[in-house]
Amino acid sequence: MEKARRLWVRLAWAYGLLLAFGVFFVGPFAMGFLASLKANPLEWPFSFRFAQVSPKNWVAAWRLGLEGGGNPWLGGMVPGREVVLEVAYFSPEGQEPTLLAQISRRKPGAGMGAVFETPYAADHVRLEGPVRVEARPAQLGDREGMVYRYRLRLFYPGEGPVLERVPLDLEVPRGVVLVGASLDPTRLERRGRVASWDNVVPGLLGYVFHNYLRAFRETRSLETGESLFLRWTLNSFFLAALKVLTTLIFASMAGYALARMRFPGKHALFLFMLFSMMVPAQVTFISNYLVLKDGIFGLSRLFGVETLLNTYTGLVLSGLVGAGAVFLMKQFFESIPREVEEAALIDGATPLGILFRIVLPMSTPALGALAILTFQGTWNEFFWPLVVLTSPREIYTLPLGLLSFRNAYGQVGDWGLILAGGFLSMIPVLVLFALFQRYFVEGPSLGAVKE
Amino acid sequence: MKRWLLLALTALGLAMAQTQVRISGWGGPDTAVVSGLLKEVVQRQLDRENIRVVYEPIEGDYTQWLFNALSAGTAPDLFYVDIFWAESLFATGRVAPLDAYFSREEVQAFLPNLVQAFTYRGRLYGIPKDFNTLALIYNKDLFDEAQVPYPHQQDTWDSLEGKLRQVQTRLKDVAGLCLVADFARFGAFAFATGWKPFDAQGHTVLDQNFRRAFEWYTGLVRRGAARFAQDLGEGWTGGCFGGEKAAVAIEGAWIAGFLRDKAPNLRYGTTFLPLDPMTKRRGNFVFTVSWSLNAASKNKEAAARVLKALTSPQAQQWVLERGLAIPSRKALAQNPYFQRPTKEAELNRVVFLGSTAQGGNVYPFSFRGLGGDWMRPINEALAAVITGQKSVDQALREAQAALDRLTGRR
Repeated sequence: MEKARRLWVRLAWAYGLLLAFGVFFVGPFAMGFLASLKANPLEWPFSFRFAQVSPKNWVAAWRLGLEGGGNPWLGGMVPGREVVLEVAYFSPEGQEPTLLAQISRRKPGAGMGAVFETPYAADHVRLEGPVRVEARPAQLGDREGMVYRYRLRLFYPGEGPVLERVPLDLEVPRGVVLVGASLDPTRLERRGRVASWDNVVPGLLGYVFHNYLRAFRETRSLETGESLFLRWTLNSFFLAALKVLTTLIFASMAGYALARMRFPGKHALFLFMLFSMMVPAQVTFISNYLVLKDGIFGLSRLFGVETLLNTYTGLVLSGLVGAGAVFLMKQFFESIPREVEEAALIDGATPLGILFRIVLPMSTPALGALAILTFQGTWNEFFWPLVVLTSPREIYTLPLGLLSFRNAYGQVGDWGLILAGGFLSMIPVLVLFALFQRYFVEGPSLGAVKE
Repeated sequence: MKRWLLLALTALGLAMAQTQVRISGWGGPDTAVVSGLLKEVVQRQLDRENIRVVYEPIEGDYTQWLFNALSAGTAPDLFYVDIFWAESLFATGRVAPLDAYFSREEVQAFLPNLVQAFTYRGRLYGIPKDFNTLALIYNKDLFDEAQVPYPHQQDTWDSLEGKLRQVQTRLKDVAGLCLVADFARFGAFAFATGWKPFDAQGHTVLDQNFRRAFEWYTGLVRRGAARFAQDLGEGWTGGCFGGEKAAVAIEGAWIAGFLRDKAPNLRYGTTFLPLDPMTKRRGNFVFTVSWSLNAASKNKEAAARVLKALTSPQAQQWVLERGLAIPSRKALAQNPYFQRPTKEAELNRVVFLGSTAQGGNVYPFSFRGLGGDWMRPINEALAAVITGQKSVDQALREAQAALDRLTGRR
């Protein structure tokens, strides 16, 4: 009896802790993700039932995207296509409401989207209808009335550009209620009188992940028109990959030298390295900044570069390898039995040969852990790139891009886009952790020593 | 021989060719405006003079960045200066006076209120690039539904309050105004009474006029004409307005971009802030930003040319037509854009006129070198009274004591 009670108590503790972890760590991510899908991410109280999670809308968005632009995923509208949308309204007096429909000329209010002139759907797409297709008596709550169903046909005749989105507004008199639509509207405005669609040909991804799509579509370079968000992501990948590579090479070489070789001043060097780990970056950044500003004491002028600010060369040179990485590798190499190397030494291998052909292949767990930590560190690095990279916007890394997102869109309360950007920036690190997690589980001591 | 000479001249020409002028401002929405402006207007004008503009928008804390860059000697040739901290920057001598580069006529083409805001000890330190004032923006649907006439420019505090109270009583789920405890909004009402932030000795005195505005403003919630913004889950009056939680908002033209995304179909109108029933005047703030010249710049002549191009009539027209900001030239008052029958044009027109005589007692949003420290006691007093934690007497007494310490009175 006592045993069973203890078991239950233990289980309760375990599940309670898991639940607490779930709520504190996974909860915010899940809520953030859900909010990033919503048209109004600040909706309060938070509801779990909104248009973007309803399968009915997924099907409709897929169909409309396919009909409008032949692209069920990303939607859009091309010449010669037509789409049909149905809406149903409840009218309390049983009197048929007047329904005003129009394709509005809508422009983003913030960010680069506010400056770019994109083709307006209103100039190209013709709207036919609304045509009444059904009228039947119905009850809404305790009110008696009629439900009217209308069909709207959007037709894109002749020649013209590919339209990324076709907005639509439907206005009814006060008191008439929208009770159904093939695709739920993005928002209801003017106290329910206006149902407004940001895009009636969204495609599945365009509907569910519209904020994500906007992140790519709306932030474009004014010079070239290319997507800045994509560019920032690629920049971050490039920098992270480069830094992983240099860190792995230099940290293992330096770590090996410190762990195994004998040379004068080795201990002093090691102590100095430890010391450099303890100085916060905020202390040295001004001197580092000035060194980069002058192109490393004017050295860069030999290559015709006036300053290393606003260049990747500057950013990479100032962070080729961290002392922490060298320290990690040194500790790991010290755990490898010397006998392995001595055998190679007897066979006539050089120190470099030993490092690259014997020690490093045995060090995959440490290298894996180092790679993933470096990648994550570089990917998320914010302060130093913020100082070094100011212009043009094309050279930003993703965290800087997200900051400019926050400045541009946060000011107008457009948090969906910012959440979406933040979420996208998190994915690579998550993927990396999923792929490399076994190196963490195995730990640095395994792998090298097999008894 | 001739060919060599030609080649040499070409090489020399190329070497001398381009003067680079670096300009900076904050990032965010301004990046789009300035990049567009440079690409479509400014650079074209400057190409003939072989000046190349390099634009570096700053994301993050711009003020801090600018002060650091000016001390490190890496600051650009031209940069934004916000009226809020302009005086403390001009006092450092790091900004070059512009009197040598701009003739009297050129300066007079800008709105005098704005020019005055960037004049320090008789010298001009910045050309206002654009500005904003406050206006009263109202939701036509809500007033129609409550069957209350729209606010208009003859409204006094009392008549406006009456309208707001009626909307709030009749619609139940809507506030008249959502009230914020912020001098950036309340101050306009205090100015209407004739009260000034600083007297001749540089002291702040919260006199009877101030008290009258304070009592009216903080009492709006109690009298059923407004709700406290925090109680509605919003931080600014525009947020309440966009979500149709409040019938009016007191904001500047920046609200247009917000509403374009948040509520594209909202039917709104704009009018001036209400008049003080006693003085029959209104008050307003000017929020403005200038382009200023770095005193350590190596090519001031070229930078001054860029400055002129950035604030030229063509440049301002471009900005105005995109509805991105309100430019600072006097002549734009007659601009056809303001007469367009759209809600955004009306908003921009009222905001533009808010800085002129129609705006009443208009003061720049700047408090000597004290900045935000000066506003803090007043904001705290506003919050304490609106939430019912302190009486008006107590709150004003404490605010006065804090301001006395700050301005060295007594």
